[in-house]
Amino acid sequence: MENEKIINEGTQPENEKNSAGTNPVNDENINMSDKALSQKPKTGKPLFTFFRSLFIIICSILITCSLILYILYVVPVLNEFSHRQKSETTNNQELKKDLLYKKQISLLTKDIQRLSLKFNAYTSGQSYIVVNTIENRFFLYTNKKLIREGFCSSGSYTMLQTSGNKKWIFKTPKGKYWIHGKTTNPVWKRPDWSFVEEGSPIPPKDDFSRYEYGVLGDYALAIGDGYLIHGTIYKRFLGMPVTHGCVRLNDEDLKVIFNTLNIGSKVYIF
Amino acid sequence: METEIDNKKPGRKVTFIVLISIISVFIIYYSVMSMISPVRKLEQIKNEFGAKTAEKSDVEQRILMDSTYLKLLKEKAFLQSRIVMAETDSIYLTLNLADSTANIEISGVVVHKAKMKSVKTSKILKTGNGNAILSMLATPFTISHAFATIKKEPVMIKMAPKDTSEYKPDIMPDTSITEPVNYILEMNGGIRIYVYQEENVKLSDKMSHLSFDINDRLRDTWSALKRVAVLKVPEYHPFIKIRLPRTDAKIIFRAIPKNGQIAVFN
Repeated sequence: MENEKIINEGTQPENEKNSAGTNPVNDENINMSDKALSQKPKTGKPLFTFFRSLFIIICSILITCSLILYILYVVPVLNEFSHRQKSETTNNQELKKDLLYKKQISLLTKDIQRLSLKFNAYTSGQSYIVVNTIENRFFLYTNKKLIREGFCSSGSYTMLQTSGNKKWIFKTPKGKYWIHGKTTNPVWKRPDWSFVEEGSPIPPKDDFSRYEYGVLGDYALAIGDGYLIHGTIYKRFLGMPVTHGCVRLNDEDLKVIFNTLNIGSKVYIF
Repeated sequence: METEIDNKKPGRKVTFIVLISIISVFIIYYSVMSMISPVRKLEQIKNEFGAKTAEKSDVEQRILMDSTYLKLLKEKAFLQSRIVMAETDSIYLTLNLADSTANIEISGVVVHKAKMKSVKTSKILKTGNGNAILSMLATPFTISHAFATIKKEPVMIKMAPKDTSEYKPDIMPDTSITEPVNYILEMNGGIRIYVYQEENVKLSDKMSHLSFDINDRLRDTWSALKRVAVLKVPEYHPFIKIRLPRTDAKIIFRAIPKNGQIAVFN
């Protein structure tokens, strides 16, 4: 409203002069000077408007960014300061002399001892093997001590898919297993996927083409569900995830493992 | 024309002031609601796990606040959790924040040990009602969600060849690829375990960490905004943030089942 007044006050005398029409020459001069005056702000105004708009845009962006940063980063920090700290009493001698306190502490200590014994009993004193499928390493333990470690190969995580939508996923199972059987000079009976993978026709179940000699190394230890710990002719792949689910080892490691683990020995795979 | 333009200015100013006021009020409201959320969470934990102090004598209440007692109680709770998990044949994780170790265990056998490089926990877990937090930690947590920069199972699909002429032998896998490893394990009860790789040497590692962190913050903020909009206090997630060597972080993430269990010693 104030602006309106000022503008109206500024325009009124001009209108009055024009309506009187007394001095045309002077009027012309006045009109000329008015034009010049009105042109001056016209050249400065766009620049001013541009900078003002730019300023407003920059300010808006800065404010928006600050708000986002405040919500994303400051509010979570504020969360952490919002609840009061509860102090614990420490070394209260008076309390430590209390019979009830002593009884509670002794009960707790006994409980801890009992639980520790129970927990430690889970780790077998007998031999067991740990297979790390992520790093493709194995660790052999006897009497809770590491006696051998080395590289192995585990499942490749490849999913073999046929055009008929048959699928096989080649991964080593994880969890707790045990040795079901031990074999020397094992023979590999090729499963269906082995033929599908090569593009060969699948032979009948007991066809001679299914049997391959010498590819599993000198020994094999069965861990159930058809999975084996065995040797390999592809020694350069040890330490890499390349198998169809079995655990492959080099000849020396396999021999030690075969001689150390018995039927029933635990196999931990992760 | 000039009169018209100038007439709009006061309107603009008013709009601007109103807008700023609305935003300011909302920010204050959002901040207050967010600050209430940890208090609510602590109350919820107290109600669920806390000892009924009214029923306890003065000495018993003082015992519950004693540090020696609480330390033993923590140890017992951790052992109990580990035993509960050991009874299952599943793979599980134990986090010992006191000695900065993260172990993978199967049936009570430690199969992998990792040393944490840094540990940061939310204040609720550190200084909240000791007894209630301890009781909460006495039972193992179960993973309900996981957000990660790596796949749980890096499955590659291979189409079977139609005949032997199409068969190509497998090539040696490229083990030099080191993808950034950052993940969040969200537990039942709302606790979150953030695992970040320790190595942030390469720019790609830093960028991955930053984008992962921003995504998490955006996800959190969005859910908080949705709750605040309907006048509800946002959910607070007590957290444990740890930094591990990349390989250890990867091993833990891939080894633990999708809904695996975790025990925490605080």
